[in-house]
Amino acid sequence: MLRSDHILATVEMIQKENLDVRAVTMGINLLDCRGGDVRETCRRVEEKIGMAAAHFVATCDQVSKKYGIPVVNKRISVTPIAFVGAGFDRHGFVELALALDRAASAVGVDILGGFSAQVEKGMTATDREYIAAIPEALARTEKICASINIASSQKGINMDALALIGQTVKDLAEITKDQGGFGAAKFVVFCNQPGDNPFMAGAIHGLEEADLVLNVGVSGPGVIARALDRLIHAKGRENLGLDDIAEEIKQTTFRVTRCGELIGRQVSKELGIEFGVVDLSLAPTPTVGDSVGEILQILGVDVVGAPGSTAILAMLNDAVKKGGIFASKAVGGLSGAFIPVMEDAVLAEAVGSGALCLEKLEAMTCVCSVGLDMVPIPGSVDADTISAIIADEMALGMINNKTTAARLIPVPGKEAGEMVSFGGLFGASPIMPVRNVGKSSRFIAWGGRIPAPLHSFKN
Amino acid sequence: MGKQMVMSVMSKDRPGIVADITGVIYQLQGDLADLNQSVLCDYFTMILIATFDDSVTPEDVVAGFSHIQPETKLEVVVKEMDTPMEIAKAKRVKETYILTAQGKNRSGLVYRIGLFCCQHGINILDLATTLSGDQYTMILQLDLSRVASVDTIRTSLTGYAEESGLTVVLQHEDIFKATSEITLF
Repeated sequence: MLRSDHILATVEMIQKENLDVRAVTMGINLLDCRGGDVRETCRRVEEKIGMAAAHFVATCDQVSKKYGIPVVNKRISVTPIAFVGAGFDRHGFVELALALDRAASAVGVDILGGFSAQVEKGMTATDREYIAAIPEALARTEKICASINIASSQKGINMDALALIGQTVKDLAEITKDQGGFGAAKFVVFCNQPGDNPFMAGAIHGLEEADLVLNVGVSGPGVIARALDRLIHAKGRENLGLDDIAEEIKQTTFRVTRCGELIGRQVSKELGIEFGVVDLSLAPTPTVGDSVGEILQILGVDVVGAPGSTAILAMLNDAVKKGGIFASKAVGGLSGAFIPVMEDAVLAEAVGSGALCLEKLEAMTCVCSVGLDMVPIPGSVDADTISAIIADEMALGMINNKTTAARLIPVPGKEAGEMVSFGGLFGASPIMPVRNVGKSSRFIAWGGRIPAPLHSFKN
Repeated sequence: MGKQMVMSVMSKDRPGIVADITGVIYQLQGDLADLNQSVLCDYFTMILIATFDDSVTPEDVVAGFSHIQPETKLEVVVKEMDTPMEIAKAKRVKETYILTAQGKNRSGLVYRIGLFCCQHGINILDLATTLSGDQYTMILQLDLSRVASVDTIRTSLTGYAEESGLTVVLQHEDIFKATSEITLF
């Protein structure tokens, strides 16, 4: 029989610390769904998703019941839609989005990602039509998430696309102003976007992937926070060093990851489709006690944003990877700690008190996943400034060979300090002030490309 | 295949018990198939299965044990098995569940959980309990193969937990293997 102390440690993790599998995401290749016209393509897309994912949600629920571990989100990611709809105009892309939305509803998944394009080097006419379709496509659909890869370490940053994207983000927020600009929360801009990330809004089924694949996002900031609380309580703060803390994070992540992999592999076995990767990200939710910010506080900063926040986050992010990589057969996706402002109650509080500013948040994204995520900014911030904020975040990813992303929400009609709430997993936060608004227009007006960086002489 | 016997031995714990017991079986040219031993609060207990020649009787085995002359006496029960079986091919339960129940210590806790299992057709394969302060912890390995629906058991357990004031968790054994062992599945 298994050892009692191991059993009790696991029971503690599952029961008291709300361990769950955050997302099981089925990746579906749609390249073979192309028909002669928009209508036929939409029909084939719906048919393929309907076939591939017919038993997906029921199987996840069944495995989740067997093991007593909740699978919080069941999602689908598809081939970046700009490839599927090559040659379509903006209306065609809106039709595709509506078809994807119907397919997602029919199979009962929470969200579908992949209304996406990859334009890191240049834009085709189709890509421009796709970008033009984004606001309407997201406003008219319920479950669709969009993302665009606009930069990479190999190709540099496409500044022509970036200039368009600032305005797209504004338009998205404006067209969904009745919901506080919620549309912008479903659109994320990437540098080095991975093709196997199970987390939304940035999940896609990359062109390098097989026909069908299953990726799992484990999470558990709450589990790690409680494990650290317990360690500090048991051993006493004065008897611990940061290396002990890092070790505890590693051990806990190991167990969390193993549970995720077990569930994921079981679901993929039952469905008879290939298991892809476990994404080791620490993804907070607005629920109290499920926060990355709280871990930073436990580790010694009174408020998130105080000096030391970046160093702690670096250690946390690294320890999570070390524990998880040993635990899993295949790791991929984003695999790092997320700091999405609206989705993390402690971060949102730090924004409200003025402790956490945009510049510090940007610095923190240098050492973790996934970038300036779910950051509500005043609706009055102009498109060029938004493009420029995104450009800074893209540069961090490009130079450091990592994935970075930006999901900024310019909340229409609201100013810094006012609250915005989207409810559920999307959370709530006071609006973050943006300094130096309107002072980057000459930079954005250049267009062209920021060339790919050197991959040697790294200092 | 000879005569299969099951033996149960209990004694105050001391060094040398295993050598004494297995020595008796060896002297009688018995083939030891499987055993399980445990020590609780300084008391030793062991259950063994061995195969002997057809000429050996349970009484011979008991007599062998009685010749041991230690400072502590061994309490021994020996029985010939009703249906002999090949241990190496013995059926193992395909998948088991682990039930943990924790709460304030009081009398009847194990009885009640045992009764719950009995009423739901659950076989207890292994059971370990610990008392730490006033907290009593029970860990049971269960065979649910005769249970129609694990869901129903979970629902009943929720009711049982409320009624008994215990924190009760039922998990599939795979979860514990995954989190505590590094063999890849």
